[in-house]
Amino acid sequence: MLPVMNLFCVIIPFLLLSASFLEIAIIEMAPTEGISTSGAGTTSLARSEEDLLQPKVIVTDTELFLGTVFGSKHVSYVYMEIRDGVEVPSYDWQALNTELAGFREQLEEAFPTIPVSKITILTVDDIRYDNIVRIIDVCADNGFDQPGLQVAAYDVLQRQMAAQAAAQGGGTP
Amino acid sequence: MSAPTKRHVPLLLGYGKSKASIRGKSNTVTLNLTSMIDMFTILVVFLLKSYNADGQIVSVSAEMMLPESRAVQPVSLNLEVTITASAILVDGDPVVAVNETILSEGNPIPELVNRLVDHLEYTRQVRGTTDGEEMKVNIMGDVAIPAILLQRVMSSCAQAGYATQNLTVIKVEGGYSDGAT
Repeated sequence: MLPVMNLFCVIIPFLLLSASFLEIAIIEMAPTEGISTSGAGTTSLARSEEDLLQPKVIVTDTELFLGTVFGSKHVSYVYMEIRDGVEVPSYDWQALNTELAGFREQLEEAFPTIPVSKITILTVDDIRYDNIVRIIDVCADNGFDQPGLQVAAYDVLQRQMAAQAAAQGGGTP
Repeated sequence: MSAPTKRHVPLLLGYGKSKASIRGKSNTVTLNLTSMIDMFTILVVFLLKSYNADGQIVSVSAEMMLPESRAVQPVSLNLEVTITASAILVDGDPVVAVNETILSEGNPIPELVNRLVDHLEYTRQVRGTTDGEEMKVNIMGDVAIPAILLQRVMSSCAQAGYATQNLTVIKVEGGYSDGAT
């Protein structure tokens, strides 16, 4: 028994020193063009098919939308929740997951040859960082693992959504 | 103070001892190794599970709380840009203070762009060339920072030439600490 105890007495301090109780990971962001507060976003003429099909998760202070090539959909209203002892705004992540899964199915039926993994998260300027990360997680769960971030003022965002709805011919912003 | 009486002495000497030892019989106390080894085995298994041969390459300051994520991509050693509620730091050096002006505009931050360009130029001079790895930056942000601040830092990185921007997060298995899945 004593040699085993000696071994343990050596190995436990060593393992304690090299143990990491907090695991860090990274999320690789796709380069996106930011939208200025004046709304003068730049648009590339040579956009790929994937770029044309990529969805947008639109986040405002009050609502969460999903804008896709098939139309814009309301996903969730904001609600307050306690996170780490602080009351913070949150959204229905399960509803977003369901909508994105539905969009993924539609996409694979309509455009089976075009792989779409890019997604844009379009937010107003005061959305919390942890909410953005949670949206990225839900997107990654549904295969949209190249997230980009665009931030716009609320009125600019409204104009973007209206323009998108008009371009799609009747989607509900 | 008076000396203890004869009645008190045997009681004081016998404190904490068994009746057998008080009577003069030998009573060897042995350590029960079996239960101790059981405990150590559990401890070793737990520590082996938390063992990390890579070491800690990211240091998170106490005043900042990183967001939780289910991301699985391991962190790599890149230039660190830290965003706290009060300042933006590049490799630990404060570059810009966060104030109302910073939060009200939506373009790259000139001071940050200059600092990042200097860093990239320094790397180029030291190494002679810059490949893909040097063009990556890890952004560490507090959970409560607003999106505009994150976007301004990201666009500053992009303007300075750091094409790949990674968000540093705390990896969680399964659900988040607040119970959300």
